[in-house]
Amino acid sequence: MTLTSKPLAVIVLILVFGGILFSSMMGWWATESTKQPVTFSEGEFAGQANPADIRGSYTFGDIANSFDVTPEILAQAFGITEGNPSEFAVKELEVIYLDSGFEIGTASVRLFVAYYTGLPFDTTDQEIYMPQSATDILLAKGNLSPEQVAYLEKYTVTVDASIPAEEPVVDATPAPAVSSSTTSEEFTVKGKTTFGELLSWGVTQEVIEAIIGTSMPDPAMSVKDFASANGLDFESLKPALQSEVDKVKP
Amino acid sequence: MVTVFGKRIRFFRPRTIWVRRVVQWFFFLLIVLISINHTLAEGGGGLSFLSSASLHAVCPFGGVETLYTFAASGLLVKKIHDSSLVLAGIVLILSFLFGPVFCGWVCPLGTVQEWVGKFGKKIFKRRYNHFIPTRIDSILHYARYGILAWVLYVTATSGTLIFESYDPYFALFNFWSTEVAWSAIAVLGVTLLLSVFVERPWCKYACPYGAVLGVTNLFRVFSIKRAESTCKADGACSIMCPMNIPVDSVKVVRDHQCISCLECTSEAICPVAKTVVLTSGGVK
Repeated sequence: MTLTSKPLAVIVLILVFGGILFSSMMGWWATESTKQPVTFSEGEFAGQANPADIRGSYTFGDIANSFDVTPEILAQAFGITEGNPSEFAVKELEVIYLDSGFEIGTASVRLFVAYYTGLPFDTTDQEIYMPQSATDILLAKGNLSPEQVAYLEKYTVTVDASIPAEEPVVDATPAPAVSSSTTSEEFTVKGKTTFGELLSWGVTQEVIEAIIGTSMPDPAMSVKDFASANGLDFESLKPALQSEVDKVKP
Repeated sequence: MVTVFGKRIRFFRPRTIWVRRVVQWFFFLLIVLISINHTLAEGGGGLSFLSSASLHAVCPFGGVETLYTFAASGLLVKKIHDSSLVLAGIVLILSFLFGPVFCGWVCPLGTVQEWVGKFGKKIFKRRYNHFIPTRIDSILHYARYGILAWVLYVTATSGTLIFESYDPYFALFNFWSTEVAWSAIAVLGVTLLLSVFVERPWCKYACPYGAVLGVTNLFRVFSIKRAESTCKADGACSIMCPMNIPVDSVKVVRDHQCISCLECTSEAICPVAKTVVLTSGGVK
């Protein structure tokens, strides 16, 4: 059988677009992420979302839909202080931390989510940098293995989480997991201090709950907002919390 | 033959595969529009009737790059989507049938190199595409396999598209984006500059996807075949071949560089009917 150019052109077009059409009908054609990470197919975590499949196009809200971590915690971990955390796209981190000298981006979020949720994540031969604020939250959560703590100690860089997202300032040297550069000012309980920050400073959830007299709310909630919502006086909670902070701060 | 002022003048120009040019234009415009629409869509705009997929999503080479990761973990490399795997499968089927027809008919980067090459043809005439000695040229043709091996290795070990930083295709259709690395812009610039002297330099010496598809030339169903019984041995097919394949010295083109452009066939440059053809059967 001999073919000339015109039948060949027709065949090429039919195969390309017919193939796309067929794959669409079969549900195989996807040009963007479904925002649903693949799940572990076997083992102890079978059926649970795999943090290794988090994509740069995911927002913190998308991640929260698949993993037990709130957008607010993710925003706090990665120093995002402006805008709606749920709408923050992971890939924007790479732009924000572009000048840091370290790649803090999608891989960092994957690692954070894995360590935060206790899901498996392979870091073999990978250099995944983590901002200090993220490491603080992970260490405060207290569910890391010694190997994971050692990995964080090796790849944590100090980040001022109070800097707005558009203007991050990153110290270009890896720092110990708990940075000695943190000032006492940052360990002061203020109206905007969140429960997540208290956890990241080292105050345990049990101690916090003992002071507020009930279960700890969402870590992203500020202590003052919690007090207002529950008819409590923030000024009476503040000294007790500050006292606990003073006990554990470095 | 036409008669002008009483004289019979023959206007001769090599015939070309015009339908290939149409298909090339079609895919070039399609990719340009999709890429622009992707940028618009990211800003909240865009045309709803046109795909706003990323360049990675509509590039079949992504399907090759992610194969190891997909086989090992069931995951796709960052920025790669299912569509890349689908396209890689479609192109593989096309290549099993007709060879790297994707390179010669579809790939917009190849098309742009051909367009730039037209300037080179005007400037250098018949010297165009024949600057590099044949022996060195034939050795350089294998460089793309080294690049393919490197791309597959770094993608498998890093889980990211390292090649994106050097990919002229990504740079060409995304140069306005902050995602494009300067190294990719530089590779694109060098490619376009070389295209003035050499036809399809990226395809010949560096394209890792061309390396993959080129292998199908060894066992494709429809091959370029030359009928020795009617061949005038004028060498026109070899001169016309953009990939410098000596078509006039073989009966069946099994060269890994062939891109199935059909420019060497009797439908284009070969002056004898049914002598150089794309066929699944034999020729005399």
